[in-house]
Amino acid sequence: MNLPDVPLLSMLRERMTWLHQRQDLLSQNVANADSPGYVARDLKPLDFESALNGASTGSQMRTTNARHIAMTPSHMDKFEDHETPDQASNPNGNSVSLEMEMIKVADTQAQFQAAANIYAKAMTLMKTAIGH
Amino acid sequence: MDFSKSMSVAASGMRAQTERMKIISENIANANSTSATKGGDPYRRKIATLTTDFDRELGASLVNAGKPLPDKSDFRNQYDPGNPNADSQGYVKLPNVDSLVEIMDMREAQRSYEADLSVMDSTKQMMAKTVDLLNK
Repeated sequence: MNLPDVPLLSMLRERMTWLHQRQDLLSQNVANADSPGYVARDLKPLDFESALNGASTGSQMRTTNARHIAMTPSHMDKFEDHETPDQASNPNGNSVSLEMEMIKVADTQAQFQAAANIYAKAMTLMKTAIGH
Repeated sequence: MDFSKSMSVAASGMRAQTERMKIISENIANANSTSATKGGDPYRRKIATLTTDFDRELGASLVNAGKPLPDKSDFRNQYDPGNPNADSQGYVKLPNVDSLVEIMDMREAQRSYEADLSVMDSTKQMMAKTVDLLNK
């Protein structure tokens, strides 16, 4: 059994990947806050079922031959995103509200910290179990 | 997992806002620059433009400062018959710069820059938290 196979840890990893990807998207929204025609984007919420699916070590398509095409290229983002206008668009077609984005960024950061803390706590629990 | 993507995007936003700030300061500095020749046009106000470009390598939309466009609005006329560049009626053409508009633009650029900075700060803290896991 590998460490990432522990369901608690892999679910946390899933959560942290999601939050990290959301942070990438939010930084794009903030940077483009004055670009004409830009529509704010956000990730689809992480639901429990998909988190569980990602966490389980169930069947997956694997590349066992050099000529196989990988199903999820590493450079591709794992979670889906969609357009979520923060407000009715300006005359120049931009729909980013800096205030809304700041709230989302702070929220993402807090949740990431929570996930990292739980991860650390889980590690401490395991250490206790093996008597360290 | 790396946070360089959100850092690069925030940095591109800050760079674009700096470029915009440069054009605004040009406008303010030249708010009273008249033409050097008789009957010529004075300084024409520039409008900063921002464009969104998708960076394929990074996989994110970066912001770039586009080519500044000239403001097509009319010049101001000031009655100043003593000026050597005044026309036959005694009017001098002044730039179409409105300092109030420029200051509003400046505030907006500043606000966007600060927002980019705080995104960077928040990303940095997330990164630090991840690195902290190594300590446990």
